[in-house]
Amino acid sequence: MAQETNGALRETVRDIHRYIGDNLYFSRPDLEIKGEKFNSALFLTLLTGLRQGKALIIGEPGLGKTTSAEYVCSLLYRVPLGTIWGSEVSGHPEQTEEKIIGRPDLGRLNQGEEVVVWSHFVLLPTKIVDEINRLPETKQSMILDGVDRGNWEYLNDSVINREYCLFATANYQDGGTNTIIAPLIDRFDIMVESKHPGPNLAFHIGMTGANGSGLRNEELERGLHRILNQRNSYEDRMDQAEELCNQFGEALTQSPGVQTLSRSDRETIRSQMDEIPFDVDANAFLRLVLSELSFCYHYGQRRFHEGCADGCHFTSYLCHAVRNCISNRFPKSARTLSQALAWFLGDEQVGLEHLRAILPFTLAHRIQWKEETLARREKESRQDPLPIYMAKEAVREMHRRYIEQAPQLKSALAAACRITDGDALEPAQGDHPIYWEIRRDLGEEVLDR
Amino acid sequence: MKNPFQDFRSVPYHKREIPLDRIVRAKEETLELLVQGYLQLVEEEVRDLVWLVEESKVEKAYNAAIKRIDGSLYDADDIDEFCALLDSSNKLPYLISGPAGIYISALVNRAQEDHIVLSPKDYERSFHFLGYKLPEGKTLVLQGDVGDFTGSGLFGGSLILEGSAGNWCGAGMMKGEIRVTHNTGQNTGEWMRGGEIHVDGTIQSVGTKFYGNTGYRVLFGGKIYQKGKLLVPRALVKEG
Repeated sequence: MAQETNGALRETVRDIHRYIGDNLYFSRPDLEIKGEKFNSALFLTLLTGLRQGKALIIGEPGLGKTTSAEYVCSLLYRVPLGTIWGSEVSGHPEQTEEKIIGRPDLGRLNQGEEVVVWSHFVLLPTKIVDEINRLPETKQSMILDGVDRGNWEYLNDSVINREYCLFATANYQDGGTNTIIAPLIDRFDIMVESKHPGPNLAFHIGMTGANGSGLRNEELERGLHRILNQRNSYEDRMDQAEELCNQFGEALTQSPGVQTLSRSDRETIRSQMDEIPFDVDANAFLRLVLSELSFCYHYGQRRFHEGCADGCHFTSYLCHAVRNCISNRFPKSARTLSQALAWFLGDEQVGLEHLRAILPFTLAHRIQWKEETLARREKESRQDPLPIYMAKEAVREMHRRYIEQAPQLKSALAAACRITDGDALEPAQGDHPIYWEIRRDLGEEVLDR
Repeated sequence: MKNPFQDFRSVPYHKREIPLDRIVRAKEETLELLVQGYLQLVEEEVRDLVWLVEESKVEKAYNAAIKRIDGSLYDADDIDEFCALLDSSNKLPYLISGPAGIYISALVNRAQEDHIVLSPKDYERSFHFLGYKLPEGKTLVLQGDVGDFTGSGLFGGSLILEGSAGNWCGAGMMKGEIRVTHNTGQNTGEWMRGGEIHVDGTIQSVGTKFYGNTGYRVLFGGKIYQKGKLLVPRALVKEG
């Protein structure tokens, strides 16, 4: 029965993916996993939305960054497109907390009551920040907590979203853009590029248009607007909104004839995804990746402000090429999205192939490369923006290293397990940082090199 | 604390071993065996940490050392490693130059190789009794200066010292040859019964104790050469 449910829900998600790809977001496939081809921007934002994740979509202006996010949000969460448009936050220098998060109810304030009027952006589970890098760095801090945990605060009130996902778009650097601050960018699970679809699809877009009018429903949009503007509790409003969302789902089934997911469907999917285990290889490989991106023999760990020590032995590993230490949000992103991918493909375990496909997009925005590393590679022939290309190359290198020593590494981890349990074994030794980290975990001070 | 490796509990553990690991382990085991033998010798022979040079005591220590290493498989490199360990390690609390040299000599004499080279110049400490009872067919090359009683009791082997020896070099040697490229100390060839000692440098003094009771006072049963010239025996003296 569970498998049937799983299969039906998976078919629904595949339907949504297919519908957007065929009708709304025309794109070339640029990702192949287990023989299936996908467009990374569409496919990974869909998985991110399902997982209640956060995606940063980069690209040239007018290449569908925002619209793809809108379509995914609308179909995954049964929110009419007009409502989504009304809740979007645009990044610009004059943006304020009152416009993004909430404001005092001035009428009630005159009566001496402090009541917050929450923005639709805060209330709705689907959140889109357009051109996030046009927000000045100081204002980016305003949305840190909300982006991270769905926890929004204003005055003495707060809203904790019961369900949410967030998509932010960013243009490439120009005169009006700012750097996305490190703590904010680290909160995004993935970064993808919305690429030009090529002249032939672009011609088709120009001739026929893909405006998503099938996702509009003005009556329900008005109803949702009324509900969101009420002054009752967040929970009550969400319960009422859910009823309208379900009506929108039924309408979508009629026309344009696409199946969508209820909130309980989404919860079921998430719990099914959470139950998908990592196989031993995926587990060991992720540990190896983490070790290369956090290890420093000389200074204990990577730190942004510290370089590499002269004469360091570990120059052939990524720790030598990066400036920062990978955060603990990264393995969570890698896990949740790999599980989502395995679920989508109907696999019972997360394996190396799933992880290898997901990792570049979870790493691209999180790795800060050293200048010399960037300079060496930026002119190489490639199909991706430099950060994603560099991340793909890094994952390819680490995967090669893993394959070369997979049996030894798994055995080393097995030995470490037994040693931690109290067995009198010698920790395995090897050249890769992961072996040194294992020894550190076993309480050995690795200073004898 | 959570075991961060528990996902690998069911993964079989195979100790990865490369040929070098096996070689290193075998070497370590051999060295450990030699060290244990030495420690037992020291425990048995010099409990009071005072070691006096008496012929019977030396003989007894040597026999005990031979007994300790009997059946052990080792080679010249192991002896060299052992010497280095004796010289530098804190693992060996009783480095007493006499027994240490006797033990090393026993190792040399029982080694598989016929030609062994040791480098005392690499050691900070000075070993005595090196080349003790070196048997026929064995050649021991010592590179660097050595302590007293070098080549004592030599038993037909060839001892080449590329450096200087202390006192009593070749004392009581039976047969064989000692060649010293530099100098020897006092009492060179004391109680010498046979064989030859060749010294290219200076000899502080030759031994005065005689051996034998043939009616003549035979100072040396062997011969001592200095810079190619026969130094002793020069004369046969009627006992009297």
